[in-house]
Amino acid sequence: MIQVSPDSVLRLAPGCRLSDHGAPQDLLLIPEGALRMQGPARKIVELLNGERSIREIIEQLQHHYASEDAARIETETLALLTRLRERGVLESA
Amino acid sequence: MTYEPKALIAEVTHRCPLHCVYCSNPLEMQRRSEELSTGDWVSIFQQAGEMGVVQLHLTGGEPLARTDIVDLVKAGRSARLYINLITSGVGLDGPKLDALIQAGLDHVQLSFQDIQEGPANEFAGARSHALKLRMAAMIRERRVGFTLNMVVHRSNLDRLEDMIAFAEQSGAQRVEIAHVQYYGWALKNRDALLPTRAQVDKSIEIVEAARERLKGRLRIDFVLPDYYAKYPKPCMNGWGHQLMLIDPNGRVLPCHAAGVIPGLEFSSAREHPLRWIWEESPAFQRFRDESWMPEPCRSCDRRTRDFGGCRCQAFLLTGDASATDPVCTLAPSHGIVENILAQVNGGAHKEWVYRVDPI
Repeated sequence: MIQVSPDSVLRLAPGCRLSDHGAPQDLLLIPEGALRMQGPARKIVELLNGERSIREIIEQLQHHYASEDAARIETETLALLTRLRERGVLESA
Repeated sequence: MTYEPKALIAEVTHRCPLHCVYCSNPLEMQRRSEELSTGDWVSIFQQAGEMGVVQLHLTGGEPLARTDIVDLVKAGRSARLYINLITSGVGLDGPKLDALIQAGLDHVQLSFQDIQEGPANEFAGARSHALKLRMAAMIRERRVGFTLNMVVHRSNLDRLEDMIAFAEQSGAQRVEIAHVQYYGWALKNRDALLPTRAQVDKSIEIVEAARERLKGRLRIDFVLPDYYAKYPKPCMNGWGHQLMLIDPNGRVLPCHAAGVIPGLEFSSAREHPLRWIWEESPAFQRFRDESWMPEPCRSCDRRTRDFGGCRCQAFLLTGDASATDPVCTLAPSHGIVENILAQVNGGAHKEWVYRVDPI
């Protein structure tokens, strides 16, 4: 089991990238296909630059989505990143 | 029901420095002089991108045998496609790999024939194993997606644990353990390649244990030999549902093997827009829905999951492309597969034959 904690610094693994801006759908392209990036998922992945910690990303998201519940943003961001990490889409920077 | 293509397999050439005994290319290969030009492929990739295709698999033969391979990668990337290069590694070097990555290559799938050099070269019909090891090291040093592809069969399956151990330290993110599928040249050599039931069962155990141990570190995709399955594979996830393949001279097919089915005319991307071929050409519609299905498929609960299995395999084994895939234990023709398995498991042994390359 791989843990993603607020201190983790992650980036997309080689061979994984977001679809171009303006493409018909927001997708995370991976070797075996594509994952649909729904809601704020694309923004979360875009913020992973291999330098920011997950804590900083969550703070930025909480700032950006100020009307949403801050605790929920944290839980859902960690859940998404854990799923992607387990799938091998993300790696430690 | 409308179907959107998701992936395009571009067989850019049939030329190949390897002569694998299980090659999936058709028995009749196309010559270099018949191959599509760079401009033809650029147009095809553009059309595919506009149709919503996401992934482009550049394959062959050996795609690196095309001198314009860097331009093809560039063209695919401009069409917003995810670019996967399926290669033996022969023809690759540092500068070429850098140029490909610079052009937008996302992912390399490097094939291995075995983990031991002697047998690997024997199965490939070429001295390529040592070079492949060097290529693996070179790919690992660069930021590009990396999958190892290990083709397994009766003569190398007993080394599966060593293959997985190699994959683990190779730097690849993913390994595909693919049992030979019996089409093209592989069907000719089937009786020499099909593993025994005991080997297959053991391979499943090994892969399951390795998956558990390597979770999150190395992804293992495993393709079983469908002759041993209870139900058929959902071949290509349905005929003309998600995928199209274009052969070196531009014929557009729903899969690698469909050219064997008599009475179907596959249109050329030289003559027709890709969208028309996908949406309207008779060959793509022939097995797309359920109207062709015989019993027991027609009333089977699994028909929406496996689509009656593989049309090409049905033809190759029964002579009728509209038959239930004979690997299905419910198929009236399943006895054909049972007989083949009885011979293999009864100790019958055959030598394989090598194929020759097109000019």
